[in-house]
Amino acid sequence: MTEINQSIQSNTIVHPRYGCAIGAVNTVAAIPRGIPIANCGPGCADKQYFMLSFSNGFQGAGYSGGGAVPSSNVGENEIVFGGHKKLDELIKASLKIMDGDIFVVLTGCAVELIGDDVGAIVKEYQQKGYPVVHAEAAGFKGNNLVGHETVVKAIVDQYVGEYKGRKKKGLINLWFDVPYYHANWRGNNIELKRVLEGAGFKVNILFGSESAGTSEWKEIPKAQFNLVVSPWVGLDIAQHLEAKYKQPFLHVPIIPIGEEATTEFIRNVVAFAGIDNKKAEDFIKVEAERYYYFLEHFSEFFSEYWFGLPARFVSVGEAAYNLAITKYLTDQIGLIPAKQIITDNTPEKHRNNIRELFHGISDEFPLDVEFIEDGYLIEQQVKNVDYGSSVPLILGSSWESDVAKELNGLLIPISTPIVSEVVINRTYVGYTGALTLLEKIYSETVRG
Amino acid sequence: MAKREIDLNIVDVENREMRLGSIISWDGSAEELVQNSRYEIRSRDKRKSVDGCAGKKEKGCRLCELNMPFNQQTMCSHSIVGCQVGNIPDCILIEHSPIGCSAIHARFNLGYKMGLARRGKKIENLQIFSTNLQENDMVFGASDKLRQTILDVQERFNPKAIFISMSCSTAIIGEDIESIADEMEDELGIPVIPLFCEGFRSKHWSTGFDISQHGIMRQIVNKNPIKQEDLINIIALWGTDYFTEILKPLGLRVNYMIDMASFDELAQASEAALTATFCHTLGSYMATALENEYGVPQVDAGQPYGLKGTDDWLRSIAKLMGKEDIIEDYIKSEHERVLPKIEELRKKLSGVKGFVATGSSYAHGMISVIRELGILVDGSIVFHHDPVYDSGKAEQDTLKDLIDTYGNIDHFTVSKTQQFQFYGLLKRVDPDFIIIRHNGLAPLAAKIGIPAFAMGDEHFPVGYDGIIRVGEALIEILARKKFGQVLQRHVKLPYSDWWLSQEDPFILAKHPEILDEIVSEDSTVAEIGVETVIKPEKKVSKSKKATAKSKSA
Repeated sequence: MTEINQSIQSNTIVHPRYGCAIGAVNTVAAIPRGIPIANCGPGCADKQYFMLSFSNGFQGAGYSGGGAVPSSNVGENEIVFGGHKKLDELIKASLKIMDGDIFVVLTGCAVELIGDDVGAIVKEYQQKGYPVVHAEAAGFKGNNLVGHETVVKAIVDQYVGEYKGRKKKGLINLWFDVPYYHANWRGNNIELKRVLEGAGFKVNILFGSESAGTSEWKEIPKAQFNLVVSPWVGLDIAQHLEAKYKQPFLHVPIIPIGEEATTEFIRNVVAFAGIDNKKAEDFIKVEAERYYYFLEHFSEFFSEYWFGLPARFVSVGEAAYNLAITKYLTDQIGLIPAKQIITDNTPEKHRNNIRELFHGISDEFPLDVEFIEDGYLIEQQVKNVDYGSSVPLILGSSWESDVAKELNGLLIPISTPIVSEVVINRTYVGYTGALTLLEKIYSETVRG
Repeated sequence: MAKREIDLNIVDVENREMRLGSIISWDGSAEELVQNSRYEIRSRDKRKSVDGCAGKKEKGCRLCELNMPFNQQTMCSHSIVGCQVGNIPDCILIEHSPIGCSAIHARFNLGYKMGLARRGKKIENLQIFSTNLQENDMVFGASDKLRQTILDVQERFNPKAIFISMSCSTAIIGEDIESIADEMEDELGIPVIPLFCEGFRSKHWSTGFDISQHGIMRQIVNKNPIKQEDLINIIALWGTDYFTEILKPLGLRVNYMIDMASFDELAQASEAALTATFCHTLGSYMATALENEYGVPQVDAGQPYGLKGTDDWLRSIAKLMGKEDIIEDYIKSEHERVLPKIEELRKKLSGVKGFVATGSSYAHGMISVIRELGILVDGSIVFHHDPVYDSGKAEQDTLKDLIDTYGNIDHFTVSKTQQFQFYGLLKRVDPDFIIIRHNGLAPLAAKIGIPAFAMGDEHFPVGYDGIIRVGEALIEILARKKFGQVLQRHVKLPYSDWWLSQEDPFILAKHPEILDEIVSEDSTVAEIGVETVIKPEKKVSKSKKATAKSKSA
């Protein structure tokens, strides 16, 4: 295997795999009746829409995303003279024209650099009782994952507000997928909520089709605890809530995929919450029986197929699904992890922990994990992997299409951007999602 | 008639709003817009374009913006530069910016790969680079990162030229991309081309076309051309190659620019016999620069849409090529070939009403085509309006050409992909379908039961066969009404009842005080947070739908 000198990774990025902080307009649009207001140049929110929604499974942007997002579209005049007046007019008009329950102003690079005091403008609306929030979301401050955390904390602080009352036992705030970033986030939310409710919990899911919108956000402080299901995104939010509402959190870094992982996940959460486990165990029994009914059928294909199955795989994508899918395929299906590349610019402080989690997946195969964001270097790495005697299996983004073609391999899209599939309510997590993931990988295999 | 001066000695391009008096927000009839544009006066005196028509209400100006206090997200010049010079296979664009400015690349890649396939070129992923700037760079400057990325690009791809695009943030912190480009050009020995396309700079993205073309004219186009008498420049985007067939009888070879063209294909632009385009909004700047600088003439005609448009366009090219002797026979035989089919389509599409929402002069062409098919058009949107093109040629006044040939359009609106206005604009004329480019608007049309023809292949309506292609496609599009009607019954729009009940989509430009009155009322505060019952939008008249459906069947 050819080793590439990591020192050649410079600032340069080609084939980007995330948007910038202003991409969190999609976080706001994922809250039912949440209205983002993009306080930035023209084009900023549009570009994030294309990364996170359109070129990411053609998800659509829903009620208030995409072309509906109000924006100050700042021009030369605002850059020179300031954008206060334009933003004030925009907020006022948004309250009148847009039919929403919460309005979140996200400030981008240009406005941040000219130093407009957006907080002061928004505060006037807050004092009059309007549900308006502001968040700093300049692209130079971080990517859309960081922007997501910033926006959530801003909504908690400026909209949800103080709470000193009692907690509701069994009520969970779930901090899981970043809306729109993982193309399956909508289906994933449905499955994880279903699993937790099946185990006897009530869940504030907060985004997507299963959320009740702002009324659910108002319930955040009442939850017994915060559940972070992700290796790093959302930890910052949970820590913030812990300090703010004295709410403990449980961190599950590996998203559960498959029966064994999901059952273990349920038991962990039940134990942490200290609720009666009867309902959870009954649920597990039904789910497990169903899962193995299908796995038994699948096993016939898996053991008898004459025409070749992939064995070694590389995975290229965000930390969360790279970790979860690598674990499932290695630990439950018996595929061989050959190279794992994390592309989400995981903050340095979380990287060692993530490396450890990967190393813990298998005693048999050393897991080679790298953090790279430059598509050129990623593609070089993917190209240089030893795929053994079977067809190369590449779990990645659509940017890996050229290298997959060159290797004559199978490309299964698992990370942003995805332009070879239309994603609606699909999931790869939990009990049902694992089976869909198998369907996907092996449908591609038999298609050849 | 006078051409715009295009100064290729300076690196900067004057904005469209300053150069041409372009506007992005206006409402009236097409006839009024033609009158108020005063194409000929503006073409004679540039100051007439600027005075009072860059948003200022000055004496004598009648083409003023309707400035709305509310806007929705749109596109920027930086994006346009990305999808222009970023689509040259053997050249590389570097976006000097935080990563968010590059977030649209996967979408560009779709168009680029489709374009490569359509032009028969090797299909490979797009390569646009980002300097990926961080907070520290905003404080301390990012010139070294730009140099590093230029070196990375050189090492990895050894391109024929490198473009550098400025973004909002790098413009504000004062990055000197021009000096770095000069320095690196000397070091690498290839053109390194700085493009000042920061998004806040122009109120309309189409300035990005001019900036891209300006950079190519300055640093790629061959300065010592050797004439190629059978070469015609077609300034285009990603469209299917229909022009080769259309122009074959005139003995012309097509040189498409800018998308998917190689460095050498761009360089030979100055050697061509003439320049034409499928859209003057896109092509006028470069066509005029080529004419001014290298004497490459451009067509003295509108655009090749509809029967008359295509006739005029072909005649103009034939005249420039000295092939007037054969052109009338060609036109006659083409008419004879396509007319029976067009007649058939006219019958099928009789009574159907259409609505076009695309870029400026392309919309004029698109409307010509559907009117040629007998489709009614009494409302349409252009995303901006250029009251004059750089050529200053009266023959290129495409909007005038449209109404002279096919009559007025009662409701002709300039609106830069503003979805909230689109609702009222559609309700005003109640079309059976829309033809659209750019994103953001079609989803709203679908939600009120109006199917959209996303005109992704911009050459689709070109020429005589284009009329037939569009007619046949529309019959398929009309069937999609079913889907829109389902949405209409069950999906709510994100706009307040107050806004949806407004008859004038520009009311707030005319009466901005409405906002003060309403927002200061306490009742509005109470309204927010109240659960809203999902109300299906008012349905489009049933009888008309039934008619359209039976026709399309």
